[in-house]
Amino acid sequence: MKKTRKLLLVIERDLRRFIQFKFLIILRTIWFAAQVAFFGLIASRMVVPELADIYFEFYVAGVVIMMLYSASVFIGYDIFEEAEHGVFEYLLSLPVSRKELVLGRSIGGGIRSFILVGPIIAITLFIIGLANPLNLLVALSALFLFAFGVSGMSITIAVTLKSGDRFDIFMGALSAFIIRLSTTMYPQAFVQDANQAYAAFSQFNPVTYASDLFRWGTGIERYLTMSPMPLAPIIGIVIFFFIFTFVGVTFYEKRLEGGGWQ
Amino acid sequence: MAIIQTIDLTKRFKDLVAVDKLSLSIDEGEIFGLLGPNGAGKTTTVLMLSTVIKPTKGTAIVGDYDIRKNPDDVRKLIGICFQEPKLMWVSTPWDVLNWHAKVCGLSTRERKRRVKQVLEHVNMWDHRRKRIHGLSGGMKKRVEVAKILIQRPKIAFIDEPTSQIDVVGKHKIWNMIRELRDEGSTIILATNELFEADVLSDRVGIMHKGKMLVCDTPKTLKDSILGGDIVEVQLEKEVTKNVLDELKGFKEVVEVVVVKSDDLRIHLNKVEKVVPQIMNLFLNERLPISSIRMSEPSLDDVFVHYTGLTIEEAEQKSKSR
Repeated sequence: MKKTRKLLLVIERDLRRFIQFKFLIILRTIWFAAQVAFFGLIASRMVVPELADIYFEFYVAGVVIMMLYSASVFIGYDIFEEAEHGVFEYLLSLPVSRKELVLGRSIGGGIRSFILVGPIIAITLFIIGLANPLNLLVALSALFLFAFGVSGMSITIAVTLKSGDRFDIFMGALSAFIIRLSTTMYPQAFVQDANQAYAAFSQFNPVTYASDLFRWGTGIERYLTMSPMPLAPIIGIVIFFFIFTFVGVTFYEKRLEGGGWQ
Repeated sequence: MAIIQTIDLTKRFKDLVAVDKLSLSIDEGEIFGLLGPNGAGKTTTVLMLSTVIKPTKGTAIVGDYDIRKNPDDVRKLIGICFQEPKLMWVSTPWDVLNWHAKVCGLSTRERKRRVKQVLEHVNMWDHRRKRIHGLSGGMKKRVEVAKILIQRPKIAFIDEPTSQIDVVGKHKIWNMIRELRDEGSTIILATNELFEADVLSDRVGIMHKGKMLVCDTPKTLKDSILGGDIVEVQLEKEVTKNVLDELKGFKEVVEVVVVKSDDLRIHLNKVEKVVPQIMNLFLNERLPISSIRMSEPSLDDVFVHYTGLTIEEAEQKSKSR
């Protein structure tokens, strides 16, 4: 059987499983609606009145990226559930190479995130409007890579820690830093004003790249400072994707085996 | 011809040596019973041979491939039926088996035919759309067994295939395992059920505390116990000293126990060969027999012989390891 077919089968399995968790999709959608309708609207009243609408759009775009990040991380939790049910050992016994398995799961995790976030992106575009379709296409392509990269990162961390509790704590701490020290909820200039160290972290953060690119793609970035073609975030996301999707494979191939899961 | 050859295969989990320098050869087309109590190292051996876990030391050649150097090639040859069904609670038997068949490279037509055929064979066709979490333990086990029956791998590892299965189901699964072998698969059957190993296996390897104690055909193993066969003879008259001396004179007879003066228990080897001669002796000596009963040693006796423990005692000890 061709390698691409095996890869597609691994992706198919993750997508089928994801669709079975309908309650999760509903919960995430409710969370998004509440964040936008309550938090976003109220918080945007805290800025000067003439910028309230702008901040609201900025915030909505940030929430989309937060959702994309958290949905992509979800694949790591799946791995622990599979380890608990012993399904991980079953997957490792199949005529699929470790590379195909990990790559397929990273891509599957990324596509799942997009299935979840896709309708939300559509709502967001409805709220914000669409300035330049080509820019949006470039941004969405980069966001695909971002989602695959985050899924790959989640799998890497899961197979490295091999402990559900440690994974929970680590991902909680990582999310606390990676989301809050990014431009999901506030522009880089304000982070810079607050603290130089925060700004340094935020500047080289894949979540910042994703948020900035999405805003650029939707046209919100016109209110902010960004060059016509945001090369830095695109390169940053491509590097992030390569590290966790390809280079990471060789690292966690060594860690991937049936035993030792807690 | 050997299809699996292990060379000092060892797996250590921290201080516990789960499998200790296992050297073993399994021939193509045979059903090889890996027998031992829980904790003997059977499942760890299966997981190493199927490249799910890596050996700490040593290696194995599966097909023509080294499990360390060519794990991807090894996995193209093998299939596993796990001891505990490996199924996600949200899936259905149909989803699980259909996807498994796809990954194992079956064409669409063949896949649909085989999945249906096997689901019917294991009496799961009517339950194919139920969620796994709604199935009983026995049903889940049948779905697990179905995976390997659909796959028909060159080398099938089957770990405790009939645990949680009722008596009727057991016989059905045993027949399916034989059919799988007849279709060309080599079967490695890991079990702690001595009777199962006895009725199914061409050869049996007994594992205990991670080591292979002995390996041969069930018959040779049973014959290896000196005086393992027992003949109990109830006479209508008291036995004479002359008869007792003659009985002890047979080279196959190990011991003659006089339970009562007209009741003998004879421990011997190759019962099928010696019993006619014993009958003739009694007839010639005009000692009428009122009843005779013969029993052969089982693999339980073989296990006790080599370990000094019953399989239940060995399981208790391995839990405290």
